[in-house]
Formats: sequence, C-alpha cells, structure tokens
Amino acid sequence: MKRSIPLAIVMVGGILFIIQYFIPHQHSQTLFDYYTEWAPIVGAFALVLGVGSLSRLHSHKIKRKAKNWQYSYAVLIPLFLVPFFALIMPESLGGGMLETMGGARTTQGVFDFTYMNIQVPIQATMFSLLAFYIASAAFRAFRAKSALATVLLLAAIIVMLGQVPIGELLGKWFPKVGLWILRYPNLGAKRAIALGVGFGMLATQLKIIFGVERNWLGGAGE
Amino acid sequence: MNIWEKMLNVDRRWIFLLIGIACIVPFFIPLGLPILPSAEVIGIYDHIEGLGPDNAIFVGFDFDPGTAAENMPMGVAVLRHAFARNIPVFVTAYTPLGQGMAAMAVEELTNESSADYFEYVNWEDWAAIREQGITDRAGIEEAWTAEGNSLPENARGWIFEGRDIALLGYLPYFHLVILGMSSSIASQFPTDIGGTPLEEMPMYQEHKSLREIDLAVTNAGSSACVAWITYGREKIGLPVAFGVTAVMATDYYIYIQSGQTVGQMGGLRGAAEYEVLLHDNGYSKEYGKAFVGMDVQNIAHLLIIFLVVIGNIAFFAGGFNKKTKLKGRR
Amino acid sequence: MTETIGLWVAALFTIGIYSFLYKENPLYRLSEHLVVGISTGFGIAVTYAQVLKPKLIEPILSGEPNAWLLFVPAILGILYITRFFPSVGWLSRYPMAFLMGAGMGIGFPLQMKAQVLRQLEASLIPLYETGMSWDIALGNVVMVLGTLAALIYFFFSKPHKGPFFGTGSKIGIWVIMVGFGATFGFTVMGRISLLIGRIQFLLGDWLHIIK
Repeated sequence: MKRSIPLAIVMVGGILFIIQYFIPHQHSQTLFDYYTEWAPIVGAFALVLGVGSLSRLHSHKIKRKAKNWQYSYAVLIPLFLVPFFALIMPESLGGGMLETMGGARTTQGVFDFTYMNIQVPIQATMFSLLAFYIASAAFRAFRAKSALATVLLLAAIIVMLGQVPIGELLGKWFPKVGLWILRYPNLGAKRAIALGVGFGMLATQLKIIFGVERNWLGGAGE
Repeated sequence: MNIWEKMLNVDRRWIFLLIGIACIVPFFIPLGLPILPSAEVIGIYDHIEGLGPDNAIFVGFDFDPGTAAENMPMGVAVLRHAFARNIPVFVTAYTPLGQGMAAMAVEELTNESSADYFEYVNWEDWAAIREQGITDRAGIEEAWTAEGNSLPENARGWIFEGRDIALLGYLPYFHLVILGMSSSIASQFPTDIGGTPLEEMPMYQEHKSLREIDLAVTNAGSSACVAWITYGREKIGLPVAFGVTAVMATDYYIYIQSGQTVGQMGGLRGAAEYEVLLHDNGYSKEYGKAFVGMDVQNIAHLLIIFLVVIGNIAFFAGGFNKKTKLKGRR
Repeated sequence: MTETIGLWVAALFTIGIYSFLYKENPLYRLSEHLVVGISTGFGIAVTYAQVLKPKLIEPILSGEPNAWLLFVPAILGILYITRFFPSVGWLSRYPMAFLMGAGMGIGFPLQMKAQVLRQLEASLIPLYETGMSWDIALGNVVMVLGTLAALIYFFFSKPHKGPFFGTGSKIGIWVIMVGFGATFGFTVMGRISLLIGRIQFLLGDWLHIIK
C-alpha cells in the first residue's frame, strides 16, 4: 500500500502513455485528454504543501522569538492578505490592466497595488544587484591564467563587443565574428551539453518509470 | 603592499559605484548608434509579418518580474506587431507572477498616455455587434465605427477583446497544459482571466486547438520556453519562437539551427532588434525601452571589458600569478 | 493619487535594496521577506481563480454532466495534505505517482525527439555546398566536429588517451571554453540590462528626468 501501489501507478502510467504516443487511438486519446485536464487540478493542491510549510516555519520563528523573527510577519501577512484581497476583488487578478480599460473599474485594488508597486520592483531590483557583482567579479576573478582561460576571455570580449552597437565602431568585424562564435563553436559546445543532458534525462525517466530510482517516494513511511 | 596589490584590494564598493555611474550617465548623453537586426530576430518578424486576421498566435509571458527588464520589451514588441496586424493573440503565462506581467504588457500597449497605443474595447462593449452575428475582424471594426466610435488621434488601432486578444493567464503544470491545448484550448482554459467563456469568443471559434495556431512566441526567463518545443512543436508541429534572457540565449542557438524555432530574441539586444524592425517598418513612431537601454549598454560593456583587462594587468604586473596568495581583503 | 503613492513605494523599495550594496540593512531584509510572502500569496490567488474555481468547484456546483469524475483529481490533490501528518504521510505518494508516472510517459518520446533525435539530425549536415561562403563552411566544420569533440570530452567511460579520445577531448575542451566565453559575454549583457531596467524606472517613471 505504502510503496508498491505508488510505484505501480508510476509504472503503469508511464508505460501506458509511452504506448499512447505511438497508438493515438480514440480511446487512448480520451485517456490522454482526461489526464491533461486533471493534472493541473491535482498539481494545484501541491501549493498547499508549500504554503503549509512556509507558514509553519515562520510561525515557529515568531513563537520561539528566533533571530530576526519580526520579519516573519512580512512573509505571513501578505501570504494570507493577498489571496484575501484577490477573493473580494477578483477582477484585479489581471495585474494593473483592468483599471485603464474603460468601464467602471477606475481604482486600483490593494491587490494590484501590492503586485505592481512592491512585488515587481523588489524582485526586479534584487535580480539587478547581480550587475554589480558581475562587474566586481570581472575585475577580481577573470584571469587569463592559462591558454584555455584566455580563449574563454577572448570569446567573451568579442561577443560582448559584438552585441553592442559601439562594437561595430571599434571594428567592423566584431559583430560578424561575435555572431559566428555564437552560431558555430558555441552551438557545437552547447549541443554536446544538451545531448548529454538529454540522454541523462531519458535514462532517469526510465529508471523512475521502472521503479529503479525511488528517491521521490521520500521518507514518509516504509 | 605595492601599487598592484593595492589596486586589486580596492574596496569593491568603488567598482559598484563605477558601474552605477556607467549605467546612469549615458541616459543623458545618448549615442544613438544604429542597431542592425540579426537573422534570428528577422525570422520571427517575417513569420508574424506573414500572418493576418485569419491566423492566430500564442504569446507566452513565461517570466517573473526578476527578468522583466529583458523579457517585457520582447513581449510588448511582439504584441504590438500582432495588434497592428489584427492577428488574434492568446496570452498565457508559465508562472502565477507571469500572469501579472502579461497584464502589465497589455496595459502598456493600451494606456492612452503611451505613444502609438491601442484603444481597448471591452468584451461587453461590443456585445451588440456580436449579437448581429458579425465576427470577422473588418466587419467588427466597420460596425463599431458605424456606431459613432472614432479612433483617437494618437491611437494606432482598436483591440476587440475576444476577437483580437484573449488573456488566458497561468495554469500549473504548463507543459501538460500545452499538450492539452493540442486537443482543445477551452479544455484547459474554459474562460479568460476576466471570466469570459472562451467558447463565446470569435477568435476561439476560429482557432479551437493549438493545431490551428500559427506561432507561439515564448518570452521566458527560465527553461520554460523549451516546453513549447518539446510539447508543442514536437507533438503537433506548432511553430515556436523564443524571446529569452541573455543568460540563456547562447544555449538555445541549437534550436534555431535545428529548425525547431523560427527565430530567437536574445536578451535586451534581441528586443531592441525587434523594436528597430517595428520602427523601420512603420509600426511605431518611437523606439522602445530596449533600444534606449542598448545605448546605455555600450558604455557598460566597455567598462566591464576595461575592468577585466586592468584586473589582469595588475595581476600579472604584480607577479601574483607566481605567488601562491594575494594578501589582503578581497 | 494611488499611482503616485505606488511609484514612491516602488522607488523606496528599489533604493532600499540598492542600499544593500553599501551594507546589509533592515529594509533589504524586509524586502527579502515580503517578496516570498507576496509571490506565494499571488500563487494561491491565481491558482484558486484559474484552476480550482473554474475547473473544479464551478463544474461540480453547477452539476455539469460527468462532473462527478472531477472528484478523482480532487481527492488525489487533497491527499497531498497528508504530508503534514506523519502517520498517513505515505498517502501523499499517490498524487505524486499520478502526476509523475503519466507525465514521464507522455514526456519520454517527445523529449527524445526534441532533445536528442532532432539535435543529432541537425548535426548531420553537409559541411559545404556550392555557393556557400567560406565562413559558413568553416563554421559548419567547427560546429559538427566541435559537437563530436565536446561529446568525447564528456565521455568518461574511456580514458582520454590516444588519437581519437585523447585528441578529441582536447579539442572538445577548447570548443567548450569558447561556448562558455560566449555565455559569459551574454551574461554580462543580461545582468547589465536588469540594472538598466531599474534605472529607467527610477529616472523615467519615478523622477521623469529621462524619457
């Protein structure tokens, strides 16, 4: 019950749908349609797991008055308030769109406000911090210590100059060589990596389907 | 501590300041250098240029706000092209936050204060025309203007909700959603995000599954875009185009060469190239944010290259390649 | 009015996060936590409105034909929650098994086609055809041999010695380095673009000193 049936479901489901690909008969297509319709519904519940553990983690932090516990409120309050506001103002789920599109919706809901003025700027700014770190790394870490490292640096510099308009001013050939590097040697390297990943992924899938790889079962009960 | 060592041990906050300045000052002294579109971007442009009101495309906002600076201009540019050509667009998202991004892109294109905006006509507002049984694009516009509606001077055109656009939004396990849409779009998205049933939309009546879609443009900040190839292109031959962040772009040249994508916009440069194509072909009077951004990028790239070179000079001139360790605070 | 307040709030957070570059501080910590809370909250809201309501609750309530079948995914989904109760936690394996097994079965042939077969096919191309310029012909040679060499480099079951495996893996690592160089160049462009985006917000949308 605890292990064999889930493993059997994986095996039967896996084999069934591999066969379905080769025999797209009407009945197998119906099965396929049911699966694709149901999967997002089942998947939606997985969110409960995330929300559950997130709230447990932060409420424990608050209870134990752990380090920086005050900030846990900044997770918990929006975690519940955002869906609450969405529920009472469902039209605002479209971000800031609906307010400007004529009609009666002229005010911006709390939900839109939170998304556009807090979530978007915070996330975008956090990602943009990387610009500063890559500049610092360029100065401190990228060393032409060996022939291979030199090749890497040269390719990087040519591609960098090839991508910006000023590169063409510095040398007509920069954009051309930059594109050539992208389209040929870069492509060769990336295809080899993609093939490696592709084979690895297929092998792992087969291992899971046939029950060789069982880590996904987790630790809950033998 | 000699000069080279001092240099290499400089407080990194000085470098932060330098890159900050390099990204701010050029906004005030624009270089205005031309950007030549590459074959990869022209591929997408030409594909869309070949479509019209009888076709339909998908535009996926498959990114989060973190990469919006790169992905948003791509999404906006493609939507602008489609709206201007009256190509019906189904807009989807791979993540919940991507749904908000999609809405913001449409907002940008329909906001009266932005140049070349499109006048949005709500689903309810043109109900009378639908009741008359008019569903073709030209007929709708004709009936709409006959009702006394005129296009504002600075507007490019009309967007009729349900005829020109359906904002479908996000669903979990999106790769399976792509597969499901190969049978029926409405089986996955019974309504748009505003709750309008897809079955009632003229654009859905003419394009019921992905098999009747002429292109899917996925603007992605993660490997989400590959799902469109694996589950869309390989299952039913759906043409796919990529708009991806620069970090990922080099990995995806393999799909262009193999013919699995019709083209690719890579990073801000790719978006700027699309903006140039739109501008040069009369789809917009002004270049967009990406083009302006690329102007700033010039100086930033030169600075980074300068930092790499000067860092190496200090490293070798100071003889640190021979010593085991570089002393001091790093 | 709300729009103006919104812009100021967004600007405050933007500058607050950049202050991290100088020193770690409470505003940055607050932002870090807020982003987790809001994005998860947004996820709940959108998932409810886009999935559970139109695809599960409404069809069942309105008594659509065959709506009772929807209890199958609903029950499977609810089983996820058993994870929180150690004694019955194993039940959460059922929805996982449902999604994983069939998902992999569906994906297997498609991924084989997209990631392996098409890629192999695209490597088997004529290196030179009449009318082809020299740079494309050279590029084709570099690409095809480069793929092979890089594959040899990643093939660890044989020692990298001898004319085939030895030379092959050596060429392979050179090609890979060029590829990584290109990625690095593009990564710089990407990171700088994100910063430019924020500066466009601060100087344009907020302060209106640039267009």
